[in-house]
Order: sequence, then C-alpha cells, then structure tokens
Amino acid sequence: MECVVQGIIETQHVEALEILLQGLCGVQRERLRVHELCLKSGPNLGVVTSDVRLLCDLDQPDPTWTVKHVGGAMRGAGADQISVMVRTMIESKVSKNSLRMFYALGYKLDHELLKVGFAFHFQRTAHISVSVSSVNKMPKVHAIDEAVPVTHGMQIVDVTAPATPENYSEVAAAVSSFCEFLAPLVHLSKPFISTGVVPTAAAAAASLMSDGGGTTL
Amino acid sequence: MPVKWVLHWQPNQGSTVSSQILNEASQCVESINGVKEGRWKATLNYYKPILKDQANQSEFPRDFLGISLADEPDKYYFIIRSQRIVVEADTNIQSIMEKLQSYKSKVALYFEGFQYQLGDFRLRVGKVVPTHSENVRGIVMEVDYLPISSIKTANKLMEEFMEIWHEALAKRSLPGKFVNIDINFEEYGLGDIYTPQHTAVRYALVMAHMIATVQAVRG
Repeated sequence: MECVVQGIIETQHVEALEILLQGLCGVQRERLRVHELCLKSGPNLGVVTSDVRLLCDLDQPDPTWTVKHVGGAMRGAGADQISVMVRTMIESKVSKNSLRMFYALGYKLDHELLKVGFAFHFQRTAHISVSVSSVNKMPKVHAIDEAVPVTHGMQIVDVTAPATPENYSEVAAAVSSFCEFLAPLVHLSKPFISTGVVPTAAAAAASLMSDGGGTTL
Repeated sequence: MPVKWVLHWQPNQGSTVSSQILNEASQCVESINGVKEGRWKATLNYYKPILKDQANQSEFPRDFLGISLADEPDKYYFIIRSQRIVVEADTNIQSIMEKLQSYKSKVALYFEGFQYQLGDFRLRVGKVVPTHSENVRGIVMEVDYLPISSIKTANKLMEEFMEIWHEALAKRSLPGKFVNIDINFEEYGLGDIYTPQHTAVRYALVMAHMIATVQAVRG
C-alpha cells in the first residue's frame, strides 16, 4: 500500500525545487535514471487483463531490477476526504532476466519509459520519497539512448510513502503536510487529477535562486 | 555459498517410495557419524495459467514453478525449465502473482526432514509430501560441500563423498538408489560459482525426474 500525489513543474523551475527540497529534506539527493517497462497480459491470459511494471535502475554500476504491481485506489467517502491517493502497491526485487520470464508467461510490452532526474528519500513521520524527473519515450523498443521527452519543458514530481491498512491516515497526513511546503512551486494532487503548473512559480523560483533558498516562502 | 548437490530417490522397478526409505537414509547418515542439527523445509508450487479459453493452453508454459529454499527465507525462485529460465525475487513476489490473477498455484509440495553436519559436508534428507497430505511422493537429499563455492572445483570431492555414501547405504539393501542429475547450468545463464538459483534449477530437474518416474511406473 502507498500514499501518492503527483504534480508537474516547468523544467526551468526544477533547480529551484531542488534547492527547496534540499533544505526541507536534509538528505543528499540521489540521481534517478529508471527504465520502466509496463507489461500487460496477453488476450487469453487471466480472467481480466493484468498489468505489471518492471523497473530497471540504470544508475547502479550493475543495473538492478524491481517488479511492481500497482493496484486500485481506495474509494468511497473516506478516500474522498483524503487529499492523497491511497492505493495497493507491492514491489519485489528481481534478478535481471525477469523480463524474459514475463514474456514467457504471456505478458507483452505495452509501453516503456525512461525517467531521468533526482530523488530525495527521508523520514518525516513517514518514509517519504520525492522524485523530480523528465519522462522520456523511446522511438524503438528498448532504445534508451534515443529517448526523447514526452512533454518538452515539463517534469513530473512524485511524492510517495509506503503505508499499511493500519497507518495510512497518518502517512497521508504526513505527505499532505509536506506537500504544503512545495506549494509555491508545484501543486501536488492525486494522480490523474491534474491541477496544472503554479502560476506564481516563476517568482517563487526566482526568490529561491537569488539567495540559495534562504528566503522563507 | 557452498556447492550443493540435490539427489532424489529412484526406486527400483516395481517398488515404491515410503517413509521407511527416509528413516533408513537418516539412520545411514548417523551411522557415518553425521550429527543431527535440526529440521529443514522447502516449498514448491506448480503454477498453471488462468485462461479465458482452455484451447489455447499450449501457448503457455506447462512447467512454471516457484520454490522457497531453506537457505534463503527472504527469497523466492521461479523456474521455467523448458525455456531455461530461473529468476530470483523477494518473497513478496508471491503476493504480486496473486494480485495479477494470471497464474494460480495448483499443486504445492513440501520437502522436509532433518539436517546433519558431517565434517566439511552438510546433509539434508527429506520427504516430498503434498501440503495437505502425509503421502510420501519422494525422498530428496541435499549435500553441501561447505568450503568451496566453485562447482568445478568441488566436483571431484562430491563424487568421492557420494562413493562413501553409496557404500554405506548399500549395506541396507534398499530397493532403489539416490541419483544426482548432471545439469548444464550455462543454459540457465548461471556460472561456475554456486548460488541459490543453481539450487532452484536442481529442484526443478528433480521434480521433472520424479514425475517421469511416476509416469513410467503407471505406464
């Protein structure tokens, strides 16, 4: 299970966001370069179609793989009252030939993306991860070196935190509270409910850049 | 990780496997001064595809299995023998498989028994039973040579140990023998240094041989 919010930010303001995050998180940023392969079950397999993601972390000297299943979001009156999305999510590290295994099991490559950027991982009531990345598509299958941005000039901000059925309220509150600090630069909301860019982000970014992040927003 | 052989009991024509064979094998280990250390257990699952149309079954692997090993409690291994695929994952990969609802575990087996220390060797002798039954379907034996991780380097020593083992077991006049399967691990993308993925492949081959033996007897 995880709590998730997303937002978009113009690439020109990413540096300011990084300065803000550095100040807020108090940890070193990590580079992010992840090849995400989204697989879908073939037409005959399963009563309903299933999706699974394979993530290859290209930033490691020896790329490491993770398989991830993202489930449906929590629904109902309770979910409507929470400003973050709460959804099932299971991740498992896997060895490098997992793609071959899923192909053999009848899964097909639906689409693939290359995410390039940076991330901060820190503890604030919950274990929160913030990533800022450009999302790139490949003109040919697995052609990572030829990847081009899906949307020029824009990057995606993801804030996630693992949760359990027992603590998701507290985790959601921690994520929500953290997101308020980022509001001058990026609006964060439940995925698929875009609120666009922050109209005053330029001014906020200028302020951050001019004094290296010392100004209180 | 030490090099491991996984042997399985091959009964003579006309005889069957039983708990008695396991008892005899365990006593044999003790007779050559094996020191009992405790119990061990591994679990194996056969996965079958959930299909909209059963007529398309041949499109999907018939030998997709998953195994959790006694030495790696936090890991789970998938093997598709026909395609020479072995994958290592965290144990929660099983939860992912359940969520996907594309494959279902149809048959589950336990390998369980006792573990022994014998000089530089560690032995495990165990029965193969379905999870909801006491019906012994087979007997397996793991032999670890603890000081060495290179398969090639350990080979001669393992063969010498097996000669001693076969000699000791022969005195009990049992209706069968323990068999080791020669495996070309390179076909699975595995090297000379032994890993748990090698063990997963060994168990997949053992199961294939045990099934073939049962089918031959029934035939």
